[in-house]
Amino acid sequence: MNEKTKNKIITIGFIAILFSFLLANILKKDQAVSISERRKLAQFPTITLENIVNGKTFQEIDKYTVDQFISRDSFRSIKSIWSNYIFRQKDNNGLFLKDGCIYKIEYPLNEKNVQKTSNKIKNIYEKYLNSNMNVYYSLIPDKNYYLEGDHLKIDVDNMQSIMKNILPEMQYIDITDALSLDDYYKTDLHWKQENLGRVVSVLRDKMNLETTSNLDYQTETLGKFYGTYYGQLGIKVEPDVIKILTNDIIENSQVYNYEKTRNESVYNMEKWQTSSDKYDVYLSGATPLLTIENKNGPKGKELLLFRDSFGSSITPLLIENYEKITLIDSRYISTKILDNYINFKNQDVLFLYSTLIVNQNVLKD
Amino acid sequence: MIFSSITFLFYFLPIVLGIYYIVPNKFKNLVLLVASFIFYFFGEPVYVLLMAFSILIAYIFGILIDRFQETKYAKLFLIMGITISIGLLMYFKYANFIIQNINLWLNNKIDFIYVALPIGISFYTFQMLSYLIDVYNKKAKVQKNILKLAMYISLFPQLIAGPIVRYTTIDNQIDNRTHTIEKFSLGVRRFIIGLSKKVLIANVLGELANTFLTSNEMSILYYWLYAISAMLQIYFDFSGYSDMAIGLGKMFGFEFMENFNYPYIAKSITDFWRRWHISLGSWFRDYVYIPLGGNRTSKIKWLRNILIVWLLTGLWHGAAWNFVIWGLYFGIILIIEKLFLAKYLEKLPKILSHLYVLLLVMISFIIFNGENVTQILSRIGGLIGIGGIPIVSPESLYYLKSYFVVMVCGIIFATPLVKNIFLSTKKEKLKNVLEPIALVCLLILCTSYIVDGSFNPFLYFRF
Repeated sequence: MNEKTKNKIITIGFIAILFSFLLANILKKDQAVSISERRKLAQFPTITLENIVNGKTFQEIDKYTVDQFISRDSFRSIKSIWSNYIFRQKDNNGLFLKDGCIYKIEYPLNEKNVQKTSNKIKNIYEKYLNSNMNVYYSLIPDKNYYLEGDHLKIDVDNMQSIMKNILPEMQYIDITDALSLDDYYKTDLHWKQENLGRVVSVLRDKMNLETTSNLDYQTETLGKFYGTYYGQLGIKVEPDVIKILTNDIIENSQVYNYEKTRNESVYNMEKWQTSSDKYDVYLSGATPLLTIENKNGPKGKELLLFRDSFGSSITPLLIENYEKITLIDSRYISTKILDNYINFKNQDVLFLYSTLIVNQNVLKD
Repeated sequence: MIFSSITFLFYFLPIVLGIYYIVPNKFKNLVLLVASFIFYFFGEPVYVLLMAFSILIAYIFGILIDRFQETKYAKLFLIMGITISIGLLMYFKYANFIIQNINLWLNNKIDFIYVALPIGISFYTFQMLSYLIDVYNKKAKVQKNILKLAMYISLFPQLIAGPIVRYTTIDNQIDNRTHTIEKFSLGVRRFIIGLSKKVLIANVLGELANTFLTSNEMSILYYWLYAISAMLQIYFDFSGYSDMAIGLGKMFGFEFMENFNYPYIAKSITDFWRRWHISLGSWFRDYVYIPLGGNRTSKIKWLRNILIVWLLTGLWHGAAWNFVIWGLYFGIILIIEKLFLAKYLEKLPKILSHLYVLLLVMISFIIFNGENVTQILSRIGGLIGIGGIPIVSPESLYYLKSYFVVMVCGIIFATPLVKNIFLSTKKEKLKNVLEPIALVCLLILCTSYIVDGSFNPFLYFRF
């Protein structure tokens, strides 16, 4: 190829690429959401004189063109692959891949946030609970905690110390030794329900609960699970599999969703079919307030579980020890109004949060 | 609008190129003018009126200077034109800085004015000043067509971050520029290389610099990582923008002056400033330093001239004391070099003279990026462990490993090594095949980074 031909190819090629993308982007139908990123995509802005003058319209157009770019996921994958394999960056937008497993960096330990979260828990204790109640709290380490090597991770030990200092009235249950890397999904932040046996044993032991069924469950495999990190990273890895553990007690338990004001099942198969996050199969996913009732459970024994999404999958394994478990996700409900829904008396109380939640201080007052 | 955005790359640019090449030659300047105003309007919807007003001032005073050439009024109109242009720049860029210092030193309580800095005002003001001065000095013909003058000043490839294109450089090109496939393809190559410098290196290293700024875990290694990454970021950011501007200029038939020439391989600070932001350096040389007498005057005045130029160079970059310190820092180093150090630097082994430049430039960018003197001193001190900080922290080690390849790429591409290898390779046919492939790959890669929505500021927009 001579110089002239090369120049022609560069010129024609460049123009062809620009115009192809221009046309493709114009013709492409706008998407409302990105399933892989689990978020809403920017839409073409409503144009008003005010927004034009203050520049908002143009900022929104920039967001729109990026979000609605044709084959967006493929381009994000290219970036991710380049960053990971060519630039050898240890993470891409805070996510990294190691041995087929995707991790998200949560670093550093935000001591102020830990203190704030601990104080919110303390406020709940002071407002609603008392020394006659068995009150426990526990931290679920993010999976990076179990990762060997020089990756940046939260100092969980320090987090525990801060919380112990602020919450001396409550009993801390250490479950870090009851978990390992294999107990977490490879493409998601959550733990696997089918691997929670050791955690449940530790909780039962520390909370003085009787083991009635020896954790005898039937395991049902629902199917492939592409976790939250899968789409965010943009590199193809083997998906996980979601399994549910069930037995007669779980199947016969009644779930009431206060937000939806309706009864639901412990495992929500509708969510499994329709939700972009298949982890929502466990107790219908993010919900401010739920109760699970086990009519054959120990009479009058109740648990108040202050929890995040990790709580959804472990709760079914605790129901046999209680007649009723109330799940409170205070990311979505203010704790100031809890007494409108809960009659605080002599229940067991467990605050069970992942270190991610504590470090980010996302609980409501 | 910024070049490294989807809006520019895949909407604005193809549409403008399409219309530009479809319309007859006599309408091409008009197309560029309208496109440039839309381009500016996208980023500065209100200040587009300020730019239009500035253009009008340049146009009117250009005509008046020309009309009254050879009379005492020409100088008067030149002074008026300069005063208004600099007055606008002073108001929008320096007013609050002046008020802040008056309040500080004189214990006054003058209220701050609420104005945002119009993007690119320093660049287009300097272009207008060069036009008026050149018309006055008869180095440039007056432009009697306001649309053509407006097109020159607002020309979108160089409007908001340079290079500072002088009117005399493109005077003839406004009416008589050529459009060839060769020039267009050179423009494409230059644009994509500039885009890659910006998106693949500057932005990535900018993330590292920003991570440092938000971290509480300091170590000597981390200070060095910050200093080196910030130094590379600013070079690849600004020179990348200049490459894109020059490339776009070629696509539209223009030839702009070069703005960078591998400044980090300089062997002295004097040499560095011949290679860094060349259009600004030569502007100050021709319109400030030489009119002040340059070096053809007494030693004291010569030194004064150097310090004035560098004080102004510092202030041009921003209305804050760190920029004043930054400018004077270079002014003093240049004086030291000119007075006695230059001859020793020439005798030094190359590696030592390079290290001398890199170290001083690295410190200069710590000053440049600093918010106050305490912060600047603490960051410089951090490089040698002042404050009892550890040599290495887990975080700094992690980021060293994470950004090592990008930093090495940055260091390599900051030298002409790759370019020289490419040029010295004799296999022309192979090169001709590989070049288009490499350009397409780079364009797709840059697009991927932009679509991923990574960190994407342009550092020089604030000037």
